[in-house]
Amino acid sequence: MSRFFNSMRDGVGFDLILVGAALLFLLVLAGLPLVYNVLMSFQQVDMFTLGSLFRPWAGFDNYVAVVQQPEFWLVTKNTLIFVFASMAGQFVLGFALAVFFAQNFPGAATIRGLFLVSWVMPGLVVGAIWSWILAGDFGVLNTILKALGLIDGTIFWKSDPAYSIWAVVIANIWLGLAFNMLLLSVGLAAIPRDLYEAAELDGANAFQRFWTITLPMMRSTIGAVLSLGLIGTLQQFDLFPAITEGGPANTSTVAGYWSWQMSFQLYDFAKGATISVMMFLLVLFASIIYVRSTRHEVRG
Amino acid sequence: MKLKHLGLMAGVALGAMGMAAPAMAQVTLKIWSIDGNDRVGIADTYSKEFDEANEDIVVEYRAIPFDDLVNETLRAFATGNAPDIVSFDNPDFALFSSRGAMLDITDRVAASEIIKPENYFEGPLNSVSWDGKLFGIPKYTDTIGVFYNKDLFAKAGITEPPKTWAEFTEYAEKLTDPANNVYGATFSARAGEEGTFQFLPIIQMSGGGYDNVNTEGAAAVLDLWKKMVDNGWASKDVLSLGQWDSTGTFNSGNAAMAISGPWEIDRMVEDAKFDWGVALLPTIEEGGDRSSALGGFDWGIMSTTKHPDEAFRALEYFAAQDGRIFEEFGNIPARSDIELPVTGVALKDAALVVFQEQLQYAQPRGPHPEWQKISKAIYDAMQAALTGQMSSKDALDQAQATIKGILG
Repeated sequence: MSRFFNSMRDGVGFDLILVGAALLFLLVLAGLPLVYNVLMSFQQVDMFTLGSLFRPWAGFDNYVAVVQQPEFWLVTKNTLIFVFASMAGQFVLGFALAVFFAQNFPGAATIRGLFLVSWVMPGLVVGAIWSWILAGDFGVLNTILKALGLIDGTIFWKSDPAYSIWAVVIANIWLGLAFNMLLLSVGLAAIPRDLYEAAELDGANAFQRFWTITLPMMRSTIGAVLSLGLIGTLQQFDLFPAITEGGPANTSTVAGYWSWQMSFQLYDFAKGATISVMMFLLVLFASIIYVRSTRHEVRG
Repeated sequence: MKLKHLGLMAGVALGAMGMAAPAMAQVTLKIWSIDGNDRVGIADTYSKEFDEANEDIVVEYRAIPFDDLVNETLRAFATGNAPDIVSFDNPDFALFSSRGAMLDITDRVAASEIIKPENYFEGPLNSVSWDGKLFGIPKYTDTIGVFYNKDLFAKAGITEPPKTWAEFTEYAEKLTDPANNVYGATFSARAGEEGTFQFLPIIQMSGGGYDNVNTEGAAAVLDLWKKMVDNGWASKDVLSLGQWDSTGTFNSGNAAMAISGPWEIDRMVEDAKFDWGVALLPTIEEGGDRSSALGGFDWGIMSTTKHPDEAFRALEYFAAQDGRIFEEFGNIPARSDIELPVTGVALKDAALVVFQEQLQYAQPRGPHPEWQKISKAIYDAMQAALTGQMSSKDALDQAQATIKGILG
């Protein structure tokens, strides 16, 4: 008996308790809602069955119906544009800023700190501000672009189907930039200085140092930033109602917003759940690629 | 915030009073509506009055933001915590009444001294009816018409407001003045209920309805709207602006005509530094069929209530106060037996006369339990056509196919 308690305090039992607590936490707060969501996507849901667990079975009807919606492929395309353009913009600009602020110049740390302001702001506030900046007739951005002579006419960022998704992408890049910069700065700080000194002595130029030292040493950080970026971008919701509301003609509707719209504007909870399950599969796929790509490092 | 605290304290105080007088059997009525969130409105005021006037009834009033009202009520109904009385936007009412979530009050109304169906406008009354039965009463109503800037009209040499959509478009072209940042017209073709609110009347005046949207007349007017947007006679931002913001550009003199409703009047009297008037919504042919949007909220008792008699007494009290809602809250009663008082503000009084005439032509959205999906099909089609992704005819045909699928 005392051996059992001993192992609880220090040994296999203790390990199991730790793992068990984490698993229980995951199961209750993430697992059950997920299973419930998947279950709901296979059921018929209406206001009378909203509160119950067992509802009429619908099989794959919801999935077929979602794919048959006229806007399905448009939303898919928008989601891909939004995710990849946002991630690319956030990552490239974030990396550039991180490298820039890694140089030792007076005030570097302070200014880098100030960049976090964008990350602290709630998405709805950011959305409202960008909504004014991107407004058509009296927008700030249009005024600046016109003053610089870059454009003649007015660009209707929020109302022109050619630009609407990009309006949200621009705001989202701004919103996520600081987070990317911060994580990448941490990664940069972890690279030993002497590596650069040795390379410099061997005559490597700045680009070679970046390509052969910085990038390989940052591999796992970059992997983490990109996977978190993917999840964060797919989760992004606040900017859509604040800037375009998915319009015009669904040209800026992405999967996450569409799912919300189905559930809470059209009250079709089953289809809303179905779309979110589809999104989940996409994230799962991306996660598998991420885990596989970093696997050898864990073993290494 | 202050109001909320006050409400809370009032609630606590009432609760204490309830406990202090245990001998008297008290009934608690839960009333939900969007009023009282940012300013005093109909539901919160009358709930409080009704509470104070009735010793045997305690009213628990809850203000819920517009966007959450339907969701919150759906959830509450599903979990058995529904309010006794709730006030919905009129197109949302059928979602509940068609599924038996609202109490059938046909017989109670027939026996009532105060609520008489024949006093209500037909459109609002339709929105609370389902399957020949009455599930609620209209709370107030509104509609849309054309606001026009008389100074700009005079400058362009136009004497009368437009009678047809073709004229509306022609005038919009004449009134457009890019040098002074003036668009000929503004309206709301937004991706949302407001977009449907403004476009459905056109489908209706062309002989169609929500179940028959691909009429030739509607496609022709949609083409005219597209022409205005394409040529810069209306801002491209009509695709994303709501009615309140869209009419804001009219008030600042940046648009010569605006389609919107009587809720704009008070702000316009303040903001607009020019002479303006209101005209009925144009028709497709001169002298053709009229229609307009029907806005406004309804009262209903939820079928799960344990106190239907007290709840109906509350509705009777609310209905008896209809004569006050214009003066106190600026809303138009949905009744033909109430004359609106003259305010003495000439522009406002003139505008209200037109809107009251327009109300006779107002037609409800639906009623249909899946109205939100039908509405999305309509505003999606409107936006697809206005952005040039599809021709007006094709877009409306697609909407018709979608709607047919919903109607089954």
